[in-house]
This record gives sequence, C-alpha cells and structure tokens, in this order.
Amino acid sequence: MQLAVENLSKTYRGNVRALRGFTLMQGPGVLGLLGPNGAGKSTLMRVLATVTQPTAGRVLWNGADISRDPDSLRSVLGYLPQDFGVYPNLNAFEFLEYLAAVKGIGAASARRRIAELLELVNLTGAARRPLGGYSGGMRQRVGIAQALLNDPQLLIVDEPTAGLDPEERVRFRNLLSELSGERIVILSTHIVSDVEAVATSIAIVSSGQLVAHGAPEELLSAVAGKVWEVVVPSAELAALRQRYLVSSTAHRGDGVHARIVTAAAPSPAARQLEPSLEDAYLLALAESRQTSELRGAVA
Amino acid sequence: MNLARSISAIAYADFLERVRRYSFLVTLLFAVYLGYAVATGKVLLKLGDYRSVYNSAWIGVMCALVTSLFVSLVGFYIVKGSVERDRQTGVGQILAATPLNRFSYLAGKAASNFGVLSSIVVILAAAALAMQLLVGEDPHVHLWPLLSPFLLIALPAMAFVAAFAVLFETVPGLRGGFGNVLWFFLWTFGLSLPEITKQHWLDPLGFFSAVDSLTPAAQAQLPDYKGGFSLTIADRAAKIATGFHWEGIDWTPSVIALRFAWLGVAVILIGIAAVFFDRFDPSRSRAVSARKLRGAQPADNLPQAEAGSITVPGELGTSAGGSTTSLVGANATPALIHLTPLTSRDSSGFPRIFTAELKLALKGLRWWWYAGALGLLIAQFAAPLPISRGPLLAAAWIWPVLVWSALGTRERRNGTAQILFSCARILPRQLPASWLAGVAIAALTGAGAALRLLIAGDKNGFLAWCAGALFIPSLALALGVITSTAKFFEGVFTVLWYVGPMNQTRGLDFTGAARSLYPARDAAIYLLLSAVLVAAAAVARARQLRHN
Repeated sequence: MQLAVENLSKTYRGNVRALRGFTLMQGPGVLGLLGPNGAGKSTLMRVLATVTQPTAGRVLWNGADISRDPDSLRSVLGYLPQDFGVYPNLNAFEFLEYLAAVKGIGAASARRRIAELLELVNLTGAARRPLGGYSGGMRQRVGIAQALLNDPQLLIVDEPTAGLDPEERVRFRNLLSELSGERIVILSTHIVSDVEAVATSIAIVSSGQLVAHGAPEELLSAVAGKVWEVVVPSAELAALRQRYLVSSTAHRGDGVHARIVTAAAPSPAARQLEPSLEDAYLLALAESRQTSELRGAVA
Repeated sequence: MNLARSISAIAYADFLERVRRYSFLVTLLFAVYLGYAVATGKVLLKLGDYRSVYNSAWIGVMCALVTSLFVSLVGFYIVKGSVERDRQTGVGQILAATPLNRFSYLAGKAASNFGVLSSIVVILAAAALAMQLLVGEDPHVHLWPLLSPFLLIALPAMAFVAAFAVLFETVPGLRGGFGNVLWFFLWTFGLSLPEITKQHWLDPLGFFSAVDSLTPAAQAQLPDYKGGFSLTIADRAAKIATGFHWEGIDWTPSVIALRFAWLGVAVILIGIAAVFFDRFDPSRSRAVSARKLRGAQPADNLPQAEAGSITVPGELGTSAGGSTTSLVGANATPALIHLTPLTSRDSSGFPRIFTAELKLALKGLRWWWYAGALGLLIAQFAAPLPISRGPLLAAAWIWPVLVWSALGTRERRNGTAQILFSCARILPRQLPASWLAGVAIAALTGAGAALRLLIAGDKNGFLAWCAGALFIPSLALALGVITSTAKFFEGVFTVLWYVGPMNQTRGLDFTGAARSLYPARDAAIYLLLSAVLVAAAAVARARQLRHN
C-alpha cells in the first residue's frame, strides 16, 4: 500500500499557485501535514481525494495514476473535508445510510457499520434526530463517521478536530492511531499537538512546497541543541523577538521566560531545553522563508 | 450621514461581489440578447396592427417597456439571494454583531439589487440608441424622448423589483422555492392590476404611462385604429403607420410624481422587510425549525446517560483480533465498540442508491404536502378525462416543483459535494438515481391521469404523459447541475407551466393536454429534449467532478 505524490502543482485562476512541485511518498501510518494557513494543505488534500485535478504532476495510488482512474482510489477512500455540510432534514443514521449506498456498501454491512460508527463517535443517542439541529461538534463527528463508512485504506482528514471539545479531540487522536495500522491516514492541521500525538511521519508545507518530511524523531533531531530559554524583562521582549525566533513566552515573577530557537546560545545565561515538535516546525518554516527571500533577492 | 454611509457601503460591497462573479456576465448577456431581440424586431410594440416609424420616441418607449416587462420578471430571480449569501458565507453573523440596523442593511442590499438591474437598463438604453441608428427609419436622434422612458418607466420598476427581492428574502416562507414560484404569479397580478382595478396609476411597471399617451394620439391620427396596445413577440411584421406623429410621453409633473411614487413604495417594502428580517439570528430562523430544535438538543444538553462517555476522556485499545476497538473511559468503565472490517463492497447496488435518493428527495416534506399530492391524485381518478389530464395533471405537476428544483443542486446547497464527489463511480450511479427519483415523483403524482389515459386507450395521450414525466425532472436536473441554484428551474418551470399546460399553448404544453395537430411528434420532441437535458446534466457533472 503506497501513495506517491510526484511533482504536484496546482494553480488556481488568477495565477494563484497553491502547490509547487510537491513530491512525497507515504506507506501505512499517519502522515501529519503541518503548515500555516494558506500553505496549500487543503488543496493537497482535495487533489489526493480526487476532488480537484492538479495542474501538473501526478498522484499514484499503488502505482496507478488517480487522475486517469480516480475510482480505483475512491472505492477505498475516506475523506473528511475541512468544510462540509449535511442534509438538514435527514438524521445521522439516514445520512450515513445514504452515503453508504452512494459508496456502494451492501445494506446489511452498512447497517452494522453505521451502528458501530455512531457508537464510536458517541452519537448513538442523537442518531434519530435531524442533522439540522446538530451542534458544530456533532456535525463534525458525523463527518468523521462518514469518512470511516467504507473501511477506507486511505483516510484523508482535513482539520478534523475543528469544533471538537478537548475530550473529543483526544478521543479522535486515539482513534486515528488505532486506525492507522494497515492503512494510510493523512491528517492535515495547523495544531502541532494533534500531529505530535499520532503522526508516524510529518510533512511541513509552506507556500505550496514541501519544506520538511520525516519521522518526528528526525525533525526533532534537526532542532536538537538549538532550543534555549532566556529570562528577560518585559520591556526587552520586543527586541528579543526581532533578533531571534521565539517559539513561546511565559510571564513569571523574575521576568519573561522566552523559548528561543537558534543555533548558538543567545546569552551566557541561556539554558538549553529539550526540543519540541513545535520548535522543529517553527525552525523549518523560518528556514524556508529565509531561503525564499534569498532566492527572491538573487532573482 | 451615518445611515447614508452604511447603506452605500453595504450596497457597494454587495455590488462588487456580484459583478465580479461569472453569473453577472450571464446577466449582461441576457441584457444584450434582449436588446438584440428588440433591435431585430423579435419583440414589437404595436397599436392595433400598426407600429410607428422607428424614431427616438417610439424606440425609447418600446425598449423601456420591454425592459420593464422582462427584466422585472427575470431580474427578480437574478438579484434575489444577496441576503442569503451573507447567511451562507457567515458574513451576516459578523454584520449582526455591528451597530448596523436592519433597515440600513436591507436598504443597502436593495440598492445593490437596483444597481445590478440598472446595469441591464443601461445596456438596453444603449441598444435603443444603436437600434435607431442601425434601422435608420428616422436618423434624427432626440435624447430626451429616447432616454426618458428608461429613466421614468424602467428605473422605478427596477427599484420596485429590487425592494421586492429583499422583502422575499426576509419574510419566512418566501425565502426559498415557494417565493420563487409565487413571484411569477405576483408579477402577473401586478401586470394586470391597472386593468383589474381600472386605476391606471396602480401600475408599477409603467405600461399605462405609455398607453395613456399613445392611444389618444393613435385614435386622433389613425383612421382605422380600433384600439389595442400590445408588446408582443412578433410572429409577423406590423404595418408601419407612416403618417403617425408622436413626440413621446408628455412628462407632466403629475406623471413624473406617479412614477417616482414607486420609489417610495420600494422604501416602504424595505421597511416591511426590516420588520421580518431575523438579523441572522438562528433562533428566529425557520431554517432550524422549532420541530427540529425540539428533536435535536445540542451536545451540551444531551441526557447524562448519553453524554456520560463524552465527558470522559477516552482511550482506545485493541483487542487480540485487531478488528475490535474498545473505547475505555477514564472512569474505567469499559465500553466496547466493534468496528467490523468490511469484507465486500456491493458497488452495483443501483436500486439502493435510487431508494436513498428518493427518500432524500421526499424527506422533510410536511404532512400537508402529501395530503395535497394525494388529493390531486384522487381527483385525477375521479374527474372527467379532459379535466384529469388538463388542469388536474398540470396542478399535480406544479405541486412537487420544490422537490424537483433540488435535483442537481442539493449537493452544492448543503455542502456535501466534496464528500459525494470523492465516492467511486459517482457519475454513472448517483446522477441517474437522482434523476430517476425525480421521474418517480412525476409518475406517482400524475399516476391518476396516466391510468385514465390508458383505460381510455389514448396512446398518444399516454405517450405525451410519459414525455412530460421525463421532461420535468430532466429540465430540473440539467438546470440544477449547470447553474448550481434551484431558483433558475423554479423560475423557468413556473413560467413554462403557466404558458404551456395551464394556458394549453400548443408546443409548450409538455403534458400533451393542448390539442396539438401532431401529438405523437410533440411527445417525441419532449422525449428527445429530455435525453438532451440529461446528457447535458451528465456532461456538466462530469466537468464538476474534474474541476471541483
């Protein structure tokens, strides 16, 4: 089971380039797709989900080009878009039954599967109520259930935890970990902690390009020895931000404790810290921006 | 000052949003086509059998009346939807949290509607000038007689329509398809209001401003003029009254005041709309009805027994088989959830997807809808055949108009397109199933007339019935998929239904009740048209699947 993204580009009307020469290989496991807003994550997800055609490049599912034969992927695909709707007059059971029919799942299998999924997403009690009256979090859980309806080999979830409360978020992360054994799960988010919890590999996307890709340990090793904590008066924080990449701050009695990502110790009093994935993510983004600026200056 | 600034800001932003959409190009094309139709004599203003020489006064009033007549009908469907757009995009929620009052907001929307409709008027005014120069029957251009009818007949009518569109968007029950259907009948009523009441001033479209000026001149100058004034789609050329001299409408202060009074009516309509406007408060919206709210409590209000597991952080473990997932709450109360792997996929199950589409189409309809459909069905069985296949079948086939108008648009309207379009073999399965569900609804609601035709041995009648039952959902599906909006079908079908089956206009009566000389040929045309429409829907949907 393999998903290969080869030199993928997508340009929208008005010459807006959402993806540029994106290349990636992924086997079973959870791929966490991280990037700032507008980085091109959702476009990549839509292309992978066969909803959008790329402008150039191709996506291979087990060696087959999904542009030429989208149905080969669609039959084993589960997709939770970032923005999706429901039919307000149907209840959760009817909506999932409808989608099961559309996805070609037999009636008996569908009924059993729907009951299990509703239980899994904690909607059994609300399953017979019209979706029009559901809260945002409940709708999101219906979206998660529909993505799992056909027992997908490739599960693509775009900002799946949006609208979920913290406990539901934890449950969903655990569910993704559980599901990832024999399938590929692609999780797009800008919440680093979601990815940190479940991803077996991480891809960082910025301005439509792949900035970094590897196992979490690999990304962490890239930032090892580069994370420092310094304590400065509040008045000096702005100056510190100008000079260094500050990943977080905390106001304490002795001043502001600033977490800095930089190769050399920012001051003799600086204390080295264990790097986190958020540090690695911010460093990768900062380096990518510097490279782009350099390229721009050369051009 | 603040009020004016708010209104102009809302209007300007809304106008920009519209004119930057491709649909605005379609609007302009409609205007250009209308101008072309007038310029090439396809639409004629006649006094009895006569028309005047094409001078500035005649062309000005003719083009302005055409604008007033057609744009007031079609323009409503073009401009309606600006409040709904704010509702759908969520911009409304942002605006609702500002000090902006309801009247200012709706006045801004009406002003934007007026701006869009005025752009059509401007194109037609330019077309009128071009027409005079191109036809060349009178090369002397007089700007006031040429343009004043646009200013004083067409523009107040557009203001009236712009305000009505806003009113329909705010009054509960008129926002959706019912309002779209109702507008046609209201427009017809408005058109005939001066005749019905014998009060020529009750004329929002401004026809009688022209009639009251033209007919006395015709009576004085045309010896064989026996009365009559028409704006018709020309089937044959009119006689040119070369000796007829008319300098245009005499715009006296009272006539002008009467026309501008409609601007005042428009303001009143906006005021009424402001009373009904829910200011994007979902609790006042009918979108989530009280029935649904009662049925669906938000997660926070779920009974404790159900909500228990939500409030407990869960951990997932795996049983030995790997196919069983267990959800264990932090309170250590295990809740086993079995997620059975799917071993087979029955991808060919077309009957299931058809049933699902049919259920989806009928879901949410209230009891009175079924009662009405059943009543019409029983009446078709009971009434004499001409009544059964005529007005009763026509009524039975307008009844589900809002069900059909969802065909092809439901996926976009409800935001399920991305989920559906990523399913396997969606085009050859879901689209035909959706269409067939529409056909089934036509067959069920018109079954009484069909049975009567069969019993009477009227083969051609039955063939026409079949053609009608296939044509309606085909038209709905094609227009729905292509335009992604229900209102286009609702408008087109209502007009077609009124002109065709209700008035039994030969060729346009898709039910076959009008006594055509060639019933089988007409039915064959509608069957062919149905096939073309379904093919067009499939092509458009295939394109959407590729370029979503």
